[in-house]
Amino acid sequence: MRHDTFVLSLIWRETRNSVKSTSASDLAWVVLGGAAFLAYGVGNAIVALRGGSETLRARQEPWIIVLLAAFALGLAVGVILSKVAWSRAFAPFLKALPLSISERRRMAIVAALSIGAPFVVLAGVVISSACLLVDKPYAAAWGFGAGMTCAAGVASALFLHLFVANNEAPNDLSTPFADAAKSIPLPWLGMFDGAAPTWLGVWACGLPAGKMRLTARLFVTSFLFVLAAALAIGASLARHQAAPAAVAGMIVGLIAFMVSLRCHPLGSPVLRSTPQGFVSVWLRLSRLPLVLSAACFVAPASASVIAEPSAWTTPVASGLCLLILNGVYAVFAGFFLNAPLLAALAFFIAVAYAGYESLEYGGAVIIGFTALIALLWHKSLRRYRHG
Amino acid sequence: MDEDVLTVRGVSAGYRGREIVADISVALRFGDVLGLLGANGSGKSTLLKAVTGQIRLMTGTVEIAGVDLEHAPERAKAELGLAIDGPELPSALSGRQYLELVASIRSCVASDWPRGDVVSRLGLSAWLARPIAEYSLGTRAKISIAAALLGSPKLLIFDESLNGLDPLAAFEVKAIIRELAASGRHAVVFSTHVVETVPALCTRAIFLAGGRIVEHWNTQELARASQTPGAFEGCVMKALNAHALQSATVA
Repeated sequence: MRHDTFVLSLIWRETRNSVKSTSASDLAWVVLGGAAFLAYGVGNAIVALRGGSETLRARQEPWIIVLLAAFALGLAVGVILSKVAWSRAFAPFLKALPLSISERRRMAIVAALSIGAPFVVLAGVVISSACLLVDKPYAAAWGFGAGMTCAAGVASALFLHLFVANNEAPNDLSTPFADAAKSIPLPWLGMFDGAAPTWLGVWACGLPAGKMRLTARLFVTSFLFVLAAALAIGASLARHQAAPAAVAGMIVGLIAFMVSLRCHPLGSPVLRSTPQGFVSVWLRLSRLPLVLSAACFVAPASASVIAEPSAWTTPVASGLCLLILNGVYAVFAGFFLNAPLLAALAFFIAVAYAGYESLEYGGAVIIGFTALIALLWHKSLRRYRHG
Repeated sequence: MDEDVLTVRGVSAGYRGREIVADISVALRFGDVLGLLGANGSGKSTLLKAVTGQIRLMTGTVEIAGVDLEHAPERAKAELGLAIDGPELPSALSGRQYLELVASIRSCVASDWPRGDVVSRLGLSAWLARPIAEYSLGTRAKISIAAALLGSPKLLIFDESLNGLDPLAAFEVKAIIRELAASGRHAVVFSTHVVETVPALCTRAIFLAGGRIVEHWNTQELARASQTPGAFEGCVMKALNAHALQSATVA
């Protein structure tokens, strides 16, 4: 059809313009730094594959896990692509144009599939290369299988989005606040959000006029949180071990913090043109999520003490670890202030990578990790002060 | 009071190393209302962003009430009230919550305006409990102006804030600006494309073109221009045409 590639070309132009508007030094950092990390990562992977080549040649289980990972990767790519494509296809500036909903959907699907295809091919090529490296029989078939499972992930995400998407543009003036009547007031919120700048938490979390919108996503998330905590508490109490509940408390607390922390007000002139310093705003933004994180941590931590009173240091250590991880994530969230998903992804990659490298280099990795956090902090501070 | 509320000396500013405004010098005293004129893309908003500390100065200095913006940004901004652009307002907050947020930053109550109850004067009362996301362009402009006035800052900056206001609200805003200037405790910078409001409202005006000040009108010149209908508009159009011609010749 005539307009099918419209969203694709729109995304292409946006990407080209954002690259053009990036300063040469930032581009150099991204390209050279990214290439160096990629080369290092590929080198590491090759060494690891050669090291375990005999096992990988003989056993099938690791490759089944790889196929599952390819599906998960495809699903993640599909979710991101469908969100990006749908937001463009139903953008406010296209609302007035004579394009039917089916045409807009087709434009979005064409864009998502066109961008997703190279990922699928890449997944296939990487897996078949890995198979060749360890002399695994049927390398091409494994590569093809990985590509197909990745494609299945992308397709599932797109298919799911077709049903879930309400086909409306994210319009500030109509949605999502139009259903404010269905929201429940939170009169106690003022207690936690009353310090200067007042209502900063409400603003950051997007609670319309301080009310909580009752959505299916909220129910599902809350249910999963309660279920995870209950299972861990049950395991600790049944085995009389502190660790399961303490670790679950830390993970649930961290996820609660990550889900609730939003730092977009750091980029707003409402704060940047006032006498409010970066540190105080950043700390203030972390207050509500910290309260929520602590609330999620307390029950499992208490259960772990009850399960094994002599191991009281375990929940204390996990509490400290939670505090540090929350602080580190808050720095990432402050840097990627308008992209919480990207902040979470970068945080997980950085923590996982630091953990992996610490196996080889020990505590020295902490210096590099701290330097990264300091750099992100410095850049966020500069942006708050000077745009 | 003879002290300068705003002193801009040799300021150049822009984005990503590209200079948008250059060599801007201007000083405002208490009671001054400075009209900022210029075509789209002439650098008005960039200059106001530089003055309000939202972008870094490439050269020059900005002082607000004698405090250097670069060296003590928090102290300098304490004397500044900026009417935020409508789309930049926190959509999730209600109007009342937004006023409370600004008041908490300025350490005052959410009704501490320099001239009466601004909310009533602008007809905002019925909207205060509703989320800003539901506000129209004009209502956003009203809440933005009301918040800028909270705590009676010495320097007030309105960047095209009359856009979208209904005639009654526009009249009230102009009356408030006049009252503030007359009180001698404030200075106002007022950027607008509504040229005819400048001689009636401002005590001085500057015209920006290509990121530089190319025309300047003092109090007497503005007073003279306001006596003849359309005279000031004619001056501005002449300046606009002259610059457009110059740009075309350079191109």
